[in-house]
Amino acid sequence: MKELRSPISKEDIQNLHPGDQVFLSGNIFTGRDAVLPKLVDLIKMDKLEEIKVDLDGSVIFHTAVSPAGVGPTSSNKLDIESSIPILSQAGVRLHLGKGKLKKETINALNIENSAYATLPPVTALLESKIIRREVVAFSEEGMEAMNRLFVERIPIIIVAVNGITIEDIVEKEKREE
Amino acid sequence: MEELNSIDEIIQKIKTALITASSSYREDQIRAFNRSITNEKLPRAKLILESLLENADIAKARKSPLCDDTGIPHIFIELGKTKALTGEILDAIREGVALGLRELPGRPMAILGSDVERLEQSGGIDEDPSSVNLAPIIIKMIEEDIIRVHILMQGGGPEIRGRTHRVFHKHSLEVILEEVISWAKEEAENLGCTPCVPAIGIGRTHFEATSLMIEAMIRGNLDKQSKLEEQITNSINESQVGALGLKGDTTALGTFLNVGPQRASGVRIVSLRLCCCVEPRVASVLL
Repeated sequence: MKELRSPISKEDIQNLHPGDQVFLSGNIFTGRDAVLPKLVDLIKMDKLEEIKVDLDGSVIFHTAVSPAGVGPTSSNKLDIESSIPILSQAGVRLHLGKGKLKKETINALNIENSAYATLPPVTALLESKIIRREVVAFSEEGMEAMNRLFVERIPIIIVAVNGITIEDIVEKEKREE
Repeated sequence: MEELNSIDEIIQKIKTALITASSSYREDQIRAFNRSITNEKLPRAKLILESLLENADIAKARKSPLCDDTGIPHIFIELGKTKALTGEILDAIREGVALGLRELPGRPMAILGSDVERLEQSGGIDEDPSSVNLAPIIIKMIEEDIIRVHILMQGGGPEIRGRTHRVFHKHSLEVILEEVISWAKEEAENLGCTPCVPAIGIGRTHFEATSLMIEAMIRGNLDKQSKLEEQITNSINESQVGALGLKGDTTALGTFLNVGPQRASGVRIVSLRLCCCVEPRVASVLL
């Protein structure tokens, strides 16, 4: 298993491959349908400093944060997937969620040196790996508010990086058989 | 006639059932996961399946949620001929669900406000997990002279990937199967939380098909699959979508199919819900 600690550099991303199993540690942000469009609006209006969040080298985990725990939501929901290109441009290096993304989203990730990773909905298992959690923005959204989690060795799988997906690799292997 | 439990006992039984449904796999689910781990050739997929079982062990021991999307509670009641289901009993079931959601704890996701605010999610979220209301209750008459209550916790991902739709059957089972399998393959790819268990109800109306699908989730058993269920599962697995959509042999652990009465017509109404890898979350109690 590889180790990855946030903030994540562009070089870190270049050294990843689809299918890599990685332990992710450090601070990660959370956001899903309710807050990611708001975050995108702040970026577009050049008002990100209003929420005092530094996205450079950051990770965004597509999850709610509630007393029930955390777990990936579908990243291909409209409000979430459409946020990925502009968030990557703003410095988010790793988007963590679940489900298949469109080809144009994969291309946008590649242009910005960002990656997409997934993990199973292992909420009970993840609870032991979250050391701290705090709401950092959009507290009015309740469980959908933007949180900062400090995590220690969350097991994730890289799905798309450097313009290549796990699917591409499997297809290539099939053709070579 | 056997005495029913007191109202307090009903509340406690329902609370416990909700927590059990939300925090543990049934035995047939565990055996299905273990069979898939044995048969899976891709190490990455094997690891994902193993981590889901590890998660289930922890959740069961702590009585904590298997998944943070603790779901919308659905109640299905089986009612014997001489049994009476009173408003008081229904209220005790509602209260048991609320207590269970508070203790689990469930995810607070009841949306506040007017029709428009609820639709737009602009009126805020109720922080109390027990404010997540029950879905409409389904009641079915049975031969056994009992009242059995089933609790299902329905997560959002599978709802995004669910369909209730008509199929022009052309008097051919194959036409229906082909269409259902094609939907299931398409949705499995986008679900993310595979391996899935497709729950399928086939009836005369959209309401009937959906209630048959709910019943399929209650009665389905991954150890006892019919030939049709096996055919659907095998076809979905041929897609090689795999665990978490990351390829591999295990896209579906099994299928729960429930065929109800049919209309003299060229159309069948099919309700399909791809239960995700922590579902179906169901537990049952006798009152």
